[in-house]
Amino acid sequence: MQQLMDGIFLGSIYALFAVGYTLVFGVLDRLNLAHAAVFSAGALVGIEVVTRSGLSIWLAVPIVMVVGALLGLIIERVAFRPLNGRHDAHFAGLISSIALGAIIIALLQARYGPDTTRFPPEVFPKKRFEFLGATVSLLQVLILIISVGLVVLLTWLVAKSKLGRGMRTIAENPHAASVLGINVNRVTSVTFAISSALGAAAGVLFTLNVNTAQLGIGHAVELKGLAVIIVGGLGSLPGALVGGVVLGLAEVYAVNYVGSSWRDMVAFGLLFLILVVRPQGLFGARKKREV
Amino acid sequence: MSGPILSIEGLQVNYGHVDAVRNVSFEVPTGSLVTLVGANGAGKTSVLNAVSGLIRPRRGTIRFKGEDVTRWPAHRMVKAGLVQVPEGREILATLTVAENLMLGGWHRRSTLATNVERMYERFPVLDERRKLQAGSLSGGEQQMLAIARALIAEPEVLLLDEPSMGLAPKIVDEVFAVIEEIRSAGTTVVLVEQNARRGLAAADFGYVLETGEITHSGVATALLADERVIEAYLGLE
Amino acid sequence: MFEYTSLITLIALAAILAYSFYAVLLAGQLSLAQLGLASLAVFTSSLVVPDDPLFGFIPPLVVGIVFGMLVGMIAAFILGLPLMRLRGVFLAIATLAFAEMVRIFLINQSWTNGAQGLSYPKLVGPGIAWSALVIVAFGFWRLSGSRLGRAFDAIREDELAATSMGINVARHRMLSFVIAGAISGLYGVLLGYFTRFADPNEFSFTAAVDGLVTAVVGGVVFFIGPVLGGLFLTVLPELQRTFGVEASWIRPLISGVLLLVVILFIPGGLAGLIPRRKSASKLITDPTLMPSLPGLPKRGTPLVSLRGLSKSYGGVTAVRVVDLDLGAGEVLGLIGPNGAGKTTLVNMVTGLTFQSAGTGEVLGNALTGRTKAHALAQAGVARTFQQIKLFGRLSALENVLVGSYRISRGTLLRRLIFLPSARRDERQTVAMASAQLARVGLADKAATPAGDLSYGDQRRLEIARALAAHPTLLVLDEPAAGMNRVEAGRLAALIRSLGTDGIGILVIEHNVRMMLETCDRIIVLNFGEVIASGAPADIARDPAVLEAYLGSDATASDEAVTRLAVQDLTATARLAETSRPRPEEKQ
Repeated sequence: MQQLMDGIFLGSIYALFAVGYTLVFGVLDRLNLAHAAVFSAGALVGIEVVTRSGLSIWLAVPIVMVVGALLGLIIERVAFRPLNGRHDAHFAGLISSIALGAIIIALLQARYGPDTTRFPPEVFPKKRFEFLGATVSLLQVLILIISVGLVVLLTWLVAKSKLGRGMRTIAENPHAASVLGINVNRVTSVTFAISSALGAAAGVLFTLNVNTAQLGIGHAVELKGLAVIIVGGLGSLPGALVGGVVLGLAEVYAVNYVGSSWRDMVAFGLLFLILVVRPQGLFGARKKREV
Repeated sequence: MSGPILSIEGLQVNYGHVDAVRNVSFEVPTGSLVTLVGANGAGKTSVLNAVSGLIRPRRGTIRFKGEDVTRWPAHRMVKAGLVQVPEGREILATLTVAENLMLGGWHRRSTLATNVERMYERFPVLDERRKLQAGSLSGGEQQMLAIARALIAEPEVLLLDEPSMGLAPKIVDEVFAVIEEIRSAGTTVVLVEQNARRGLAAADFGYVLETGEITHSGVATALLADERVIEAYLGLE
Repeated sequence: MFEYTSLITLIALAAILAYSFYAVLLAGQLSLAQLGLASLAVFTSSLVVPDDPLFGFIPPLVVGIVFGMLVGMIAAFILGLPLMRLRGVFLAIATLAFAEMVRIFLINQSWTNGAQGLSYPKLVGPGIAWSALVIVAFGFWRLSGSRLGRAFDAIREDELAATSMGINVARHRMLSFVIAGAISGLYGVLLGYFTRFADPNEFSFTAAVDGLVTAVVGGVVFFIGPVLGGLFLTVLPELQRTFGVEASWIRPLISGVLLLVVILFIPGGLAGLIPRRKSASKLITDPTLMPSLPGLPKRGTPLVSLRGLSKSYGGVTAVRVVDLDLGAGEVLGLIGPNGAGKTTLVNMVTGLTFQSAGTGEVLGNALTGRTKAHALAQAGVARTFQQIKLFGRLSALENVLVGSYRISRGTLLRRLIFLPSARRDERQTVAMASAQLARVGLADKAATPAGDLSYGDQRRLEIARALAAHPTLLVLDEPAAGMNRVEAGRLAALIRSLGTDGIGILVIEHNVRMMLETCDRIIVLNFGEVIASGAPADIARDPAVLEAYLGSDATASDEAVTRLAVQDLTATARLAETSRPRPEEKQ
């Protein structure tokens, strides 16, 4: 039972991170490999904000999201928009986002150094509950609420709002979207901003969960995020949610039964398997991509 | 208003090194119907796309309601009242008819509901299929949907790119009847057609495009009767 | 002194890693598995490499290198089998996942000593490293003028066009993967036996990014490229240390910026990074150098026969129960309004799509679900496309050279040892290409990049490229699109002459007048069905055809127009009939 709870908490954070990937991929058909750098940035900036200003960690989350959104705007403008119309746009986008991600990490290193940092211990709420035989901390519950809440908010946004309609139109047919008068550039920028805000939030929440942060956490989670969206289906929001939780649970159970050093193998093994057997993922539509 | 609602001067559009449109100039008087005809690859769609703001011309000036809109992007043109019904319809197949229509009102939120109802009245076939996926409609119905969607944007100038493409002759008649209605209601129409006979028969003025340049122009009925035009284009259907 | 030796060796090794990325970029794909393969190679080699020379004379390092490269190749092959269907994004992610899986696997093995790593004897110095680099670079240099090199160019630029020229795309992609595997294995082994140490964490994503940067950034200049890239990666930290600038974040920052700048601003994008050999632009007009080619089948030999062929996509029937026959030397026209199904039909004939119902035989090959387009191309089918699929950055002559894939022999192996017969074959291929350029009237534009040609010239170039394959069946999809009267007339004459030579030709066109002049027979499609078929003169008079094109419900003024149109078409047909040269007369 304890494992179940831990798996769900971990999974909700994975889901939050993966949702950012899948949002951009679903709308724009591009994979943003700088997302991991945003994750790291969220964690490190979050720690700095709390340590410097003494604000509550829960206030740090919105601040980090704003920072993430700004990063998202930059990523879109610098790494993706200039590639529009190029016949190798998908391909080049992979590389340009890898490059921009590396730049962001380098700048983070300049500011924060390569060492591990953590939140000051007194910022954590101490409360713990007993729930169905497992020990659960207030912190974890709040993380779960925030993650799930953000994902639900996003789903509502995409389904019901004008912006969401614009996103879905562009996802289906970007040319038609232009013809209809949708400002494709603006919708794209906002999509990136939202995606990165969520990624940064995931970063700070993850760090709250494990209380260590270091430059490389983004990379470690990046591949897991990719695994989640591919297993769940590229472009599918529910897929990212389900995939995230599945991965979280699988990892927690794997650690218990196989040992922690094999833990990461779960994600990659799953990813590999899905790519070979059913590349469109569990929820994804079979899209013929010419890339 | 005085002066043509739309005027194009010295338009040049390139794709890489290829000149799709070279030095095209013409005017569209307010309330008229103008047709561009020409063979495949002649540059007709490129002209429309440049006017609509979907591509940026290399050279030339486009004026809409007296304003220089050459560098305006597509979303600005639609907001200003110039709307295109693109070649191949480009409706959103997985969305319902109703959702497709609603998208037409992207820049006309306040009048959206009224406009949609009006379209259902004018096109009963769409009314019957409100909740159906747009992809399940026949070619002719999809063309009607695309036109209705464009009308919801309350255009002052409506551009239609090959509305007859892939449609049976009888359906084409219906489409052209609708176009005539639109024109009578006061909307200016610019039509691009490979089916020269149809396109010119419906028009006030016509322009013939050959490899990116205008080679014949004039009053549509005169063009239809002109031996050279017939020779060049009706045989080239 | 030691400092510099080390530096020089590391530069060479970084360049070798770059070449491993190169090998997959050659085929237009991005793989991030190289480090994983290198890791596998170096660790498994530790199990195999003896301390003393094998059989008394084979140095241990040689054993290690050979073994490591084999491991790299085999692992790449096994990895590649399931992944070959994946493209772009998916392939990159899958290979990334693979590399990570290898890392975790190896870390958990006792024989690799986990994260502590293994130690190796020092067997590699600058001499060996640079020799290895020179050999690898040499291989790539010889690749670039060979038939294989041109095949890779074609795949990178346009896979569909490459398939239609007879190139087995899947096999070539696998080949590039395996080559990358071999080079990765080489890199891993050399690295281990130079640094005297290997641990699985070295072969990480960061290292992969470094390798990618080297390949991408350095790749702009041929041959020197990866060396420059390697130089950059190793020298910069050294420079920093010399100047006492301790910040270790500077190098990754500059790396990232360079990568970003290169990818954004290099014209032609990634494809532009693969270095271009100097434009082959010299025509060879000596007729004795033409390759000897098999003769074309006798006139009238059936080339294509379709019975009841249909194709549906979801609920839409694109082609409905079509019967079609085409014999050698015959020019068959396919006309019909837009959306009538002409291109779909032709895609079935050339093997790009498979029919939903009906049977067909093309050049003796039955059209089944397993028929591959490149196999049909190898059998003698060549085509042009509705949307021009030329290789824009290559010269006109080079475009046509690629087209001759089918009739030329592989030259790479012979080029590696500079065998004169390779050069002879090359010259023959160039002679063939030159002849085709002359045939379509583009001989004077041989050196012009294809992207700079006018639309009409580009269409003719596509035909020349198709002709370079010495086809038995030529399929042209709207060859006259965008041409004016004069150009279309010349094209018509060219098509007729090709028919006279004995090639079977299937032409899709909208230019009805031109078709009436050019074709022996015409088939008219509307809504996927054949509505008329026969001699041009008959087609021109057929009321069903006129209705399809001109529409019905003519109003009063339109009747006159319709009459005129009918007269005009009939007159043209009569004119064409009398002026067309009889088949037996040579053009």
